[in-house]
Amino acid sequence: MTAPETRADRFVRELAELKIPDPAAQRSGLWLRLGGTLMALGLVLGASAYFISHNTTDPLVQRDALALALGAVAGSVVGSALFLRYSLTGFLRFWMARQSYDLALLADRLFERDLNDGFASTDPAPR
Amino acid sequence: MTTLLELRDVRAAYDEITVLHGVSLSLVAGQVVALLGPNGAGKTTTLRVAAGVHPVRSGRLVLGGRDVTGANPRDLARAGVCLIPEGRGVFPNLSVRDNLLMMTFTGRSRAEIEQIAYARFPVLAKRAAQAAGTLSGGEQQMLALARGLATDPAVLLLDELSMGLAPLVVGRLYEHVVEIARQGVAVLVVEQFAAAVLGIADHAAVLVRGRVAHRIRPEHGTHAELAALYLGSSA
Repeated sequence: MTAPETRADRFVRELAELKIPDPAAQRSGLWLRLGGTLMALGLVLGASAYFISHNTTDPLVQRDALALALGAVAGSVVGSALFLRYSLTGFLRFWMARQSYDLALLADRLFERDLNDGFASTDPAPR
Repeated sequence: MTTLLELRDVRAAYDEITVLHGVSLSLVAGQVVALLGPNGAGKTTTLRVAAGVHPVRSGRLVLGGRDVTGANPRDLARAGVCLIPEGRGVFPNLSVRDNLLMMTFTGRSRAEIEQIAYARFPVLAKRAAQAAGTLSGGEQQMLALARGLATDPAVLLLDELSMGLAPLVVGRLYEHVVEIARQGVAVLVVEQFAAAVLGIADHAAVLVRGRVAHRIRPEHGTHAELAALYLGSSA
């Protein structure tokens, strides 16, 4: 017979099995800032490209502005994606937990209501 | 006895301000260790480091013999590290029952969590439908402890349990803490008011300006000695 596993033993075992994630996963703050910066920079560069292109008749400069605008839009899209990914996940996780909690509560209430209705319908007393 | 938590020469900082200057502590299963010290000594930061919530600048966080420095605090919480922060951390607008229900994320059923909570703190059963914000300070602290116990902790980290509570209530709460420790849980208690916790702690460490200035066994620590450490003069 082996002795039952204590909480401390289980703690040690679970920690031994714990996969410590890559430290890169902790760089979310950096990614968030980078995303925000790219998003803002993309908008500024896009607007600048419009004015550069608008204020010249030189097609070479206009092509440069076009390339700059495309880069800016791409940067802004990537930045927005990064920003959303690292800013909203925490909120959405909580929101999902809250949703599942509300659903469980609703299910409990419906169940209780059905239970009460069941009792009421089998009530033999005349009404 | 199994050592469940060790801080080895931990340094931690908030931006450029270093708060902990090489703190070393260890915690054994079934023991209550008190971390004392004046305001701003780094007690709460030490707890946050132990829970993996605050990053270490150097040094090691070892849990259950494994170096977990830099591990995700969620993984540590899942393994059994429970931090009850200063200010109790209950949802004031939710009822006691709903506060407990929020702990079902641990995988335990509502019935199981309520059973654990109400068995330890019967007064919570009477207040089950009451909003947590309307409970007395002591009852809110009980609710916070009950929520912590619902996670089946192996290491319990308590921050300023006595804050804003009457000495009698604090005494009762610490009786519960001792009972929790007796079940094999390692408990680290941060307290500013030494008298409240020295009666129940197996060991105590006094933190002054981010360093462990003194280690005492409560029966040997005199109030004069502690006062001197708090005030920064020699006893």
